[in-house]
Amino acid sequence: MSFDYFEMIIMPMLEGAKITLLLFAIVILLSIPIGFVLTLAVRSRIKPLSWLVQGFIYVMRGTPLLLQLLFICFGLPLIPVIGEYLVLDRFVAACVGFVLNYSAYFAEIFRGGLLAIDNGQYEAAKVLGFNRWQTMTKIIIPQMIRVSLPTVSNESITLVKDTSLLYAVAVPELLHFAQTAVNRDATIVPYFVAGFIYLMITLALTWVLKRIERKYRFE
Amino acid sequence: MSIIKVENLQKSYGKLDVLKQISFQVERKEVVAIIGPSGSGKSTLLRSIANLETIDDGNIAIDGEYLVKNGQYAKQKDIQKILSKMGMVFQHFHLFPHLTVKDNLELAPKLVKKEGASVVERRRRELLEKVGLADRADAYPAKLSGGQKQRVAIARALMMNPDILMFDEPTSALDPELTGEVLNVMKDLAEEQMTMVVVTHEMGFAREVADRIIFMDKGEIVESGSPEEIFENPKTERTKTFLMRVQK
Repeated sequence: MSFDYFEMIIMPMLEGAKITLLLFAIVILLSIPIGFVLTLAVRSRIKPLSWLVQGFIYVMRGTPLLLQLLFICFGLPLIPVIGEYLVLDRFVAACVGFVLNYSAYFAEIFRGGLLAIDNGQYEAAKVLGFNRWQTMTKIIIPQMIRVSLPTVSNESITLVKDTSLLYAVAVPELLHFAQTAVNRDATIVPYFVAGFIYLMITLALTWVLKRIERKYRFE
Repeated sequence: MSIIKVENLQKSYGKLDVLKQISFQVERKEVVAIIGPSGSGKSTLLRSIANLETIDDGNIAIDGEYLVKNGQYAKQKDIQKILSKMGMVFQHFHLFPHLTVKDNLELAPKLVKKEGASVVERRRRELLEKVGLADRADAYPAKLSGGQKQRVAIARALMMNPDILMFDEPTSALDPELTGEVLNVMKDLAEEQMTMVVVTHEMGFAREVADRIIFMDKGEIVESGSPEEIFENPKTERTKTFLMRVQK
């Protein structure tokens, strides 16, 4: 096995890793804020809104992500009448699926984070005269982040690995190029290379998350 | 004019009346201790005055302005103004754990009162000095003892320059050897003629520092009077029984 062979398979795989990272970044950046908004909607006093969002979260968590991705990529266009307007670019469709799914998970994580905050924090803020916005942004959310961070970290690492589901909807990401090389060259080496690249990504991510957690330790 | 005036305050949880026709007043510069058995409604009364509980009927007026009149609450804007005259210290401190001592003190004056940084900082230094924690300004609450936390909580309340400071069992969550440092700060405040309403189980403190004692039981004010009257010469059986039990 020559160095040239490595070079030949690794370049497309790194290209694929770019797609993996791009999807990861888009999903994290969108689903965390959307997840938080969903949490607030669940807690909303407007009951129909709360029920609607709870239903959404139930469906997103209760069905496989792969099913959701296939549905958005291949199912939507089959819907009568409106289907033809729902033909999305595969990568865009995948982003939509991932963001919806992960938002639901983050919403549940944040809900837990908010439940962990003692009611006394709201009371202390109230007697000091903070309005609701100030209470949320200055008192509650920073504490919610601290409580939620370990679970958010865990979920982020799962997301890195879940990006490989793009393989099923034929978006050429890291795993796609590995599989292509395996099929073409009848060797298992590309699997190891792909595994190694995933490990490098999660290693870097773990390092970043540890630093963020340290910042939120408040000691 | 009384700074706190409560008339016929009524509150119930379902069918249970937790506060029954409570009326009392607090004068400026007065220190009032509210004592009584657990479940007597004393904390609920204090929390009602601070608008942390909603009452069903009666009046609460602070410095002549009605927070509630005949069970009807004032407009939100007026409520804010009325509440800004009061500070509150809780049994479990409720410091903001994600902020340093310094920021716990400075956040509200800066954010709510929009006071300038230098004014706020000067006051923060003075108050931390006063409660004996000048050297802990940069510590997070997790690094403080219970007594230190409660002293920070008192300083935080004082940062808003309240006319009235209310304490809800301020030493009940502390180890016995730590109550002294908190009570001493409260004594200093009493000497500076701060108006204080203190729900407490510390009979020694009530006796020594309070101008007036209110004894509550089962949602009612059973008896009120000077510490001498209450402790030396209680008029009702209920007061006698309670005092005997706690002083044993």
